[in-house]
Amino acid sequence: MADATQNVTLTVNGKTITAAKGTLLIEACKQNGIEIPAFCYYPGLSLQGACRMCLVEIEKMPKMQTACTTPVAEGMVVQTETEKVVQARKSTLEILLANHPLDCPVCDAGGECELQDMTYKYGAGESKFIDIKSHRDEQQWSPVIFYDRPRCILCYRCVRVCGEGMDVWALGIQNRGQGSVIAPNQGGKLDCEDCGECIDICPVGALTSSTYRYKTRPWEMTHTGTVCAHCADGCITTVGVRRSDTGSEIVRCDNRDRSGLNDDFLCGKGRFAFDFASSKERVTTPLIKRDGKFVAATWAEAVELVAARFKKAGASLGVIGSNHTTNEENYLLQKFARTVLRTNHIDHHRTADYPSFARAIASSKAQTASLKDVAAASAVLLIGGNPSEEHPFLAWQLRTAVRQHRQKIYVVNAAPIKLKKQAAHFLQVTSGKEGEFAAAFSGDAAALAHLGVDTARFDPFTAALASESSLLVVFGSELRGAGIDKLVATFAPKGAKFLCLGDYANSRGAADMGLFPDLLPGYQKAENSGLALPQMLDAAAAGTFEALWVVGANPAARHADVNAFAKPFLVVQDMFLTETAQHADVFLPASFAYEKAGTVTNTAGDLQRLKKASDVHGVKPDFEIILRIAEKMGADINALVPFRGYTSADAGQSRGPQSGEADRNAVFTEARGLEAKTSPLDPTITLEEIAQTVPGYAVSRLKLLAGEAQPTTLVQIDPAGIASHSELIVPARNGLYASGTLGGYSETLRAMGATHRAAEPVGAD
Amino acid sequence: MKFSDQLEARFAGMITHYPARRSLLVPFLLYSQDEYGYVTDEVIAELSRRLEITELDIRNVISYYSMLRTKPAGRFNVQVCTNICCLLRGGEEMLAHAREKLGVQVNKGITPDGMFSVEEVECIGACSWAPAMQVNYTFHENLTPEKIDKILDDYRSEAAHK
Amino acid sequence: MQLIQNIAAIAKGMSITFMEMFQPTTVENYPDGKGPMKGAVFQERFRGMHVLQRDEQGLEKCVACFLCAAACPSNCIYIEAADNTAEVRISSAERYAKVYNIDYNRCIFCGYCVEACPTDAITHGHGFELASYNATNLVYRKEQLLAIAPAHQGANAMFNASEPEKAKAQA
Repeated sequence: MADATQNVTLTVNGKTITAAKGTLLIEACKQNGIEIPAFCYYPGLSLQGACRMCLVEIEKMPKMQTACTTPVAEGMVVQTETEKVVQARKSTLEILLANHPLDCPVCDAGGECELQDMTYKYGAGESKFIDIKSHRDEQQWSPVIFYDRPRCILCYRCVRVCGEGMDVWALGIQNRGQGSVIAPNQGGKLDCEDCGECIDICPVGALTSSTYRYKTRPWEMTHTGTVCAHCADGCITTVGVRRSDTGSEIVRCDNRDRSGLNDDFLCGKGRFAFDFASSKERVTTPLIKRDGKFVAATWAEAVELVAARFKKAGASLGVIGSNHTTNEENYLLQKFARTVLRTNHIDHHRTADYPSFARAIASSKAQTASLKDVAAASAVLLIGGNPSEEHPFLAWQLRTAVRQHRQKIYVVNAAPIKLKKQAAHFLQVTSGKEGEFAAAFSGDAAALAHLGVDTARFDPFTAALASESSLLVVFGSELRGAGIDKLVATFAPKGAKFLCLGDYANSRGAADMGLFPDLLPGYQKAENSGLALPQMLDAAAAGTFEALWVVGANPAARHADVNAFAKPFLVVQDMFLTETAQHADVFLPASFAYEKAGTVTNTAGDLQRLKKASDVHGVKPDFEIILRIAEKMGADINALVPFRGYTSADAGQSRGPQSGEADRNAVFTEARGLEAKTSPLDPTITLEEIAQTVPGYAVSRLKLLAGEAQPTTLVQIDPAGIASHSELIVPARNGLYASGTLGGYSETLRAMGATHRAAEPVGAD
Repeated sequence: MKFSDQLEARFAGMITHYPARRSLLVPFLLYSQDEYGYVTDEVIAELSRRLEITELDIRNVISYYSMLRTKPAGRFNVQVCTNICCLLRGGEEMLAHAREKLGVQVNKGITPDGMFSVEEVECIGACSWAPAMQVNYTFHENLTPEKIDKILDDYRSEAAHK
Repeated sequence: MQLIQNIAAIAKGMSITFMEMFQPTTVENYPDGKGPMKGAVFQERFRGMHVLQRDEQGLEKCVACFLCAAACPSNCIYIEAADNTAEVRISSAERYAKVYNIDYNRCIFCGYCVEACPTDAITHGHGFELASYNATNLVYRKEQLLAIAPAHQGANAMFNASEPEKAKAQA
């Protein structure tokens, strides 16, 4: 492996370059702007040396060498584009193309195919082979994965990423020589996690996905990098969108450009479960219930009705927020509820005890970890949770770190979770007692007894753990209240960093933005506490509440008493007629994460920017809906979103040859808070307010706008008055094939789940 | 699954020979094939468990080696060599003759009574006595069509007597 | 003398006029001519309204590769692709064009789409009557552009008959 402390100097194409000792020649060249083509080589995976495309001439070596397996050496003299090299690559291509069909016009990879690019570059377009190409029909391996055998060039990338990267080992190579084929593990079918990494990594169009195949071409889409709408890891996903008769249709999600924290990783949910956006069940006009039936209404009618009823309800109104909506929307929602509606009855579905986490971090002055820190950590203590199922990217990072720099993982869990295989030490404890591990680690015998572990297993574990010089502590929703306090107090003095695992895309953001009856944004204690979610629903069922406002949540999925939703005047903002929305008096169709701008915070506290990728006629972002209701209620819009009536400056052309000018202006001015604020609907104004009021959110605007994840901290929070409400936490336990309510409306995700293990969501949201 | 005593003994012995457990795979597959006639699904599942590798890995290995098979062969597996020396001395004709005589036209096909299977194989190391064939582990060299007829008839009568 | 010269000049001029009167007419008799072209005559290379061709089996040649749309400088081609199934087979490859629109408000008849087509599915025909009082009528759908029959069955005869002799032979 590369040793950064020692450098070697070598000459490539007459240019002297320096690289760390142990670097592979292909990587050293890439770092210095010299491209060496390769199919089988993939950064981060084991070396294969199968494709022979990266052959280069090295002085004093009699034959050409593969740059992907040759480490750099002092004084090496390399030629990468000589006539001999070019001829060798051309011959390699000719052999690869011998059986490769000429169906580029219909192939999904056409236009972004590495084989196509190489053939263009080296010009092996004509073949000397006269034999008939062997054709095999396409096979469907799983609901989402198709294999077209003749297109395969046997680079083994899929086999390696499935095994080494995903630790699934579902793909293999069968037969030998020219008859070799990629084989799935269940005799023509795949039993795997359907992550789609194999499709993503395939240099040609041999592996294709059911969601994208034969729909469009790469250059026909507009691509927008935004944050995945599913779990709380906050992977960046590049959404490929085509215009359609409903506005625009999402046809692909991947991250080939390796932007964001997650490099090119996406799980099956992030990659394939976006079809709910264009689901037939999606509602795109406001609905008002008249005589027990929903009737389509205009936005003006619906908003007017809601505003009138909210005004009548006064403080006798409960607000249920979402853990999918943006930080700005959550902030605006609670601000509106507290300053205009004058109610503290506001809550959301809590999936992890973030308030206790904030209190523990702030009291111990401990460090929170960014997801960026996971890969670099030398040792990780994982208590509770099941990252392989619920936090696929976190699990990917842990596996990668173990493989690449022998990270030590200490797992404390009630079940032998999949990461046990990578764990250096595993400790199985009594279910529900994970929170006592820290006490037991500090020598509390009673806690040790609760854990149900004998000292023979416990002592070696703790001895090894205690010897770690730096530690990253990751814990799941099993740990709450005092358990978190004890954990942080125990490991903070050793300089450990902490990461608390929640369940949804913006669960952390909802907590940070103060969707709590007793806590304001930044976990500041509210003067008067309102009712928490279950009490709110009980009160609603008892008829105490005049109105109930549900923004992007589905509490009826977990709360059995329908009276809670039937009795009050129920306003629901959502994408679908969910269990809750069925009872609504007014339904307002909302857009979801890929259809709006704003920011979200992942479970580690990394703030990332959502960019609008697609659009559907008729729906509106929650931000706008809230403001419209506020406006109709006669609230001061400028107080809610202080846009201050600035007028727009001419920022340059947005179209045509000078179009870059407008972008440059926008980046420059927005980054400095100088933007010409023209509309209260612009959520960046609220982001500015958040940065001022929520401790830890004053991050670099420039980096945030440039698409970099910005870690927020909890240290500056005032820990006084943050109470633990462990009983309110209901983990969603979404596995790989569930994503709360959204997932239920994704046909692809349902199909994926049906062919694999049954997903068991405990509570949907 | 438990292997036969003899196979279990082999397994126990071999597992100590190799630094990596999976190295045992290829020889053990051959032994189990001798025992059961082919590599059965049960053997694959059991080896997967014992060697801690996936069944897919084992099937990949089996598919790589043409002498390993996952479907039953005949009681007498007739393997006719058509590599260069045998080819020059009429190996292909011998193969064609054996196939015609047994009425088995596809490679690795079996006679309806399950008595014989015919397989075209690469060099079996009997070049000096080409053309040659191997029936189970017995060599038959310097073949002629008449000789093949006699050999096959002998096997048939041998089977009938037992 | 002057007079004779003038008369001679007039006679010379008129003789050319009289001679031309008996020459065959070179004015095209469109739209009162005979046949489907109504008297319009084109060079073979004339680039008129597009025709989406069919193959020998009568299947659509277009496989919805989008290369025409990519090549189009005026961005007037809109395609939606769908895959063929065993029951419904539209084209010979895996994919076909579910929607294929050409917006003749924008088309500049440059022929780049024809150049780009890997399956020779799109060609320029000789259709030229593309005027309309309503611009929305100028977005032609696949059904309007498709050839009625494969080329070898004479679907394009009308377009190929560009020269008068050929037209006569056809008639």
